[in-house]
Amino acid sequence: MEINTASAAISFSKKLEEDCARFYEDLSQRYSKAEDVFLPFVKENQKNIVQIERAYYGVITDALEGCFAFNLNPDEYTLKTELAEEASYSDALDKAVEIEEKMIKFYSDAAEQSKSLMADVPRAFTLIVRKRGGRVSKLRSLLGEEG
Amino acid sequence: MTILEEPIKEVMKLQNYIDGEWVESESDQILDIVNPATQKTLAKVPMSTKAEVNAAIKAAKEAFPEWRQTPPLARVRCLFRLKELLEENFEQLSRVQTMEHGKTIDESRGETRRGIEMVEVATGIPSLMMGYNLEDIASGIDEYAIYQPLGVFGHIAPFNFPFMVPLWFSPFALATGNTFVVKPSPRDPISQVKLTELIDEAGFPPGVYNLVHGGADAASIMLEHPDIKGITFVGSTKVGKDIYRKCGETGKRVIAQTSAKNFMVVMPDADIARTIPALMTSFFGNAGQRCLSGANLVIVGKDDAFYNKVLDAFVTTASKIRVGYGLDESIQMGPMQSIDGKERVLGYIEKGIAEGAKPILDGRKPTIIGDYPDTCFVNPTVFESVTPDMTIGREEIFGPVASVMRAEDLDEAIKMANNSNFGNAHAIFTSSGKAAREFQYRIESGNVGINIGIVAPMAFFPFSGMKDSFFGVLHGQGRDAVRFFTESKIVIQRWL
Repeated sequence: MEINTASAAISFSKKLEEDCARFYEDLSQRYSKAEDVFLPFVKENQKNIVQIERAYYGVITDALEGCFAFNLNPDEYTLKTELAEEASYSDALDKAVEIEEKMIKFYSDAAEQSKSLMADVPRAFTLIVRKRGGRVSKLRSLLGEEG
Repeated sequence: MTILEEPIKEVMKLQNYIDGEWVESESDQILDIVNPATQKTLAKVPMSTKAEVNAAIKAAKEAFPEWRQTPPLARVRCLFRLKELLEENFEQLSRVQTMEHGKTIDESRGETRRGIEMVEVATGIPSLMMGYNLEDIASGIDEYAIYQPLGVFGHIAPFNFPFMVPLWFSPFALATGNTFVVKPSPRDPISQVKLTELIDEAGFPPGVYNLVHGGADAASIMLEHPDIKGITFVGSTKVGKDIYRKCGETGKRVIAQTSAKNFMVVMPDADIARTIPALMTSFFGNAGQRCLSGANLVIVGKDDAFYNKVLDAFVTTASKIRVGYGLDESIQMGPMQSIDGKERVLGYIEKGIAEGAKPILDGRKPTIIGDYPDTCFVNPTVFESVTPDMTIGREEIFGPVASVMRAEDLDEAIKMANNSNFGNAHAIFTSSGKAAREFQYRIESGNVGINIGIVAPMAFFPFSGMKDSFFGVLHGQGRDAVRFFTESKIVIQRWL
């Protein structure tokens, strides 16, 4: 079912952040050498939820197109966070990049579609796109180090 | 999508709030408040007796002298506390609105936010209420203007924004030093009860704010009561005119914001992709139950291809609107607030057909997402070939019904809109600054939208309205509200 309303988009973003946070929590336990990389991501995911909700609740208005702004297919963005038991550290980093890129796609699309809402909501989405871009660079450099 | 948790778990027994106390009504006239989507009873509301309405007004009158002498800074401290409490209870307040009114959760949250914004603006009263002065209007003589509160104000609330509309007035009335009696709509009074609980918690002195439940009888008592200095009202033109007349007879100030028939004018150079979502919100948001809703869609130009393109996009999008219970986050349009409201809309649809309009999207047999009774539901409805003289082109339907019209050019579109008795919130969709400027200049509408479908003024601007959409002089919100709730006093002084 498509996401059409602002409320549904915000709830979906929360779910993505939570799923993603669980993924990194798991990684931090499985690959303790990179705990200091993954745990800050978990914390940042929680901060993202707060920032998105704050933006939404701060500017939501019945006067703009809150119920008609979005046209997102959740299947395109649902995260596959399962990692095989025997997965290597490199496999885990690959998976992390895949997750981050999917979330970047979601937030980019959501930001584009919510341009007609008051500025803070797309701005919050765009900020997260930027942060996640930084994560992808970091993850790729770790992958490089792994050779 | 899952349904968000309902904050009302048991049937509430609603009470009046008089002189700082919750008081049970002695009335034997009790109405059920029903969730229009689920048809479950949410509350029982009394139609207060004359003595109870009078008691609320008396409490407000007695509280006035001390409240008036309370420094403005101290008065707005109470509003700051109220603002904090509203933020803390934001989600619960919003869900209550959805439960008792039927609107979607996004719409309810929007309503809550706009209500809070009124409180925020009213906290600026120490600056907003300042007078002005001039030294030496004659040699050694100074003159100054001061603004003083008047006493008790009453508010008669509508059903369509059960939380927000009373807040268009009460924060400004209270901040300027007046006292207040609110009568919520008997159709959805729970939001006002929840708001009043927070007002109580915020620490306003007893009697400064009072709530009495009731219908037309309670409103009449307020209108005729000599101790009420002014009335604010939002509702139909018929009632608004009556209130305006009665307030004139009894010497009361009045703001009466009334019905509308808003024209949405789409020019050939409009960005259709951006315009359609705005039109959906305008025509079908709040299930069309607002005075800012689009009612007549006027597509401008002789080009049939453009006309068909706009119409197809409009009808296709409207036909896909997900209708259901507003606590389901995927829902885009809720039910009508009441069975009466639905029947009224159905009556207009029948009239439209009888008068020769062509229904190209018929919402009379609603498709509903989820297992809910269709008691109050109507789906989006679109009529083509409507003329401004038809009943559906002329009268306020207050439901999700769009009447599509054609105009050869902007001049004809403006004339069509200006021929309406109403002048509340007409809008134009265009990429031409020249067309927008001409529309803004000539259109007879208190609120004008340019590429905006719902022209809802922010708390710091007046909520305007013209013709049969407004009766009074000053409007609600912003500086107009500050002036409405204060009397100017001029002092000219000379010390010998």
